Amino acid sequence: MQLLRDILDKQVVDREQVKIGKVDSIVAELKPGKPPRVSAVELGSIALARRLGSAPASWTAKLAARLTGRQQARPHRIAWNKVRDIGVDIEFDIDVRRTRIFAWQDWLRDHVVGRIPGA
Amino acid sequence: MKKLLEISLGVVTSVGGFLEVGSMATAAQAGALFGFQLIWAVVLGTICIIFLVEMAGRFAAVSHHTIADGIRERFGFNAFIWPLLVTLLVNFLVLSAEIGGVAIAAELATGISFQWWALPVAFLAWLLLWKGTFGLIEKGVSMLGLVTLCFVVAAVMLRPEWQEVAVGSVPSLPQHDTAKYWFMAVSILGASISPYLFMFYSSGAIEDRWDKSYLGTNRAIAGLGMSFGGTISVGVLIVAALVLGAHGVTEVDDYNQLPLMLIPIFGFWGFVLFVASLAIACFGAALEVALQQAYLVAQGFGWNWGEDLKPRDDPGFSLVYTLTLFLAAVPIALGLDPLKLTIFSMALTAASLPLTVVPFLFLLNDDRYVGEHRNGVVSNAAVIFVIALGFVLAVVSIPLQIFGGT
Repeated sequence: MQLLRDILDKQVVDREQVKIGKVDSIVAELKPGKPPRVSAVELGSIALARRLGSAPASWTAKLAARLTGRQQARPHRIAWNKVRDIGVDIEFDIDVRRTRIFAWQDWLRDHVVGRIPGA
Repeated sequence: MKKLLEISLGVVTSVGGFLEVGSMATAAQAGALFGFQLIWAVVLGTICIIFLVEMAGRFAAVSHHTIADGIRERFGFNAFIWPLLVTLLVNFLVLSAEIGGVAIAAELATGISFQWWALPVAFLAWLLLWKGTFGLIEKGVSMLGLVTLCFVVAAVMLRPEWQEVAVGSVPSLPQHDTAKYWFMAVSILGASISPYLFMFYSSGAIEDRWDKSYLGTNRAIAGLGMSFGGTISVGVLIVAALVLGAHGVTEVDDYNQLPLMLIPIFGFWGFVLFVASLAIACFGAALEVALQQAYLVAQGFGWNWGEDLKPRDDPGFSLVYTLTLFLAAVPIALGLDPLKLTIFSMALTAASLPLTVVPFLFLLNDDRYVGEHRNGVVSNAAVIFVIALGFVLAVVSIPLQIFGGT
């Protein structure tokens, strides 16, 4: 398995097969004297913007911080040991409803989409 | 028997997707000005799109990825962002043109200016996407699209010299209006080889849960459906050449000239048929393009997507098509000429082709996606041809836009 070829940019699903995003970046740990180890994957616009360069990264982080009203905005992380299956999609043993990953979609549902009749 | 039904439904659907404002307007303009001489562009465009659609369907059926998923996964986000942005822009213009097409049909039918129809049309399309399922949109609307067959009937009833039609299917150099000739050829190719067509087709294959057992069905649908659509375009071109050209209308620069096409053959009903064809073909295409925008964004970023889900289960996806539809209606509501926009966006589509077609060369030859169902020599040659064609079109369409555009 090659990390960049086989994991990066793959579709991520949770244990209910809900599509929750793509593997936007991979977090590896470096300890002295040991080979690097993958510890987590990251999802979300901040992780994605970092790949485009430092300027888009800092704009996106600032925008995200403003929108969420927090001091610092970080990408969503899923620990690598939660991975359950790697096939067409990569499945993690998590429940998206217990994370903040869909916070913006939930906000949309509650404030915009859900208010339109027939939704 | 079930397969046969599936194939015929698929064929009908792809006809609905193929024939839209772009192919009708470009074929009519080309026929009026150059007679049968540009039939080759329709034929060439149809052959190219058959190959691309077959590959998009095969890729989805074997790898269970849509084309957008595949591009992002195989090439990474930093490469994917270019086809993403360009396709979003081109689709937006095409969607605007389709809404304009329906609005013009409504103007022809009621006498109320097309500008007033843009938002109601967008609303109706939105309502169908909001409440409808994929099956309803795919089958219901495209079934109505069969009314466009009236152009083929009309073309046959006009008794064209079939020998001349055959001569027209071979490329030849123009005797007059050289820049315009090539610009028309580019626009016809852009109208036939639309990225939204094959990208939508691959999303549809995933929505309909295709697997390897659908490979034969896929081949039949791609081949028959697209040639069917191409035949109707040729029908439009022949009718335009024989009716508009013969009445001295060589410059189709106004939609109001177009309904004249069918009147000599069908009388008053010709007018009704033309308006119905225009409205239905453009409306169906508008639904597909709006959905494709939402598919593209949702697949690109990995959100939940599916036309069969309720909007509250995929709020991001539903919001994309909602915003796209209403924003695309704005230029038409402000009075932008739908015909000019159509021709412009078709040429731009052609120029954007390399970005979406180059990935086919890699995806369809990658064992990890398509395994033993990878491209043969003929399919690869076809892809390389489309890419080369796309590059040439990209280089020439901008100067032609200036010198040959309407």
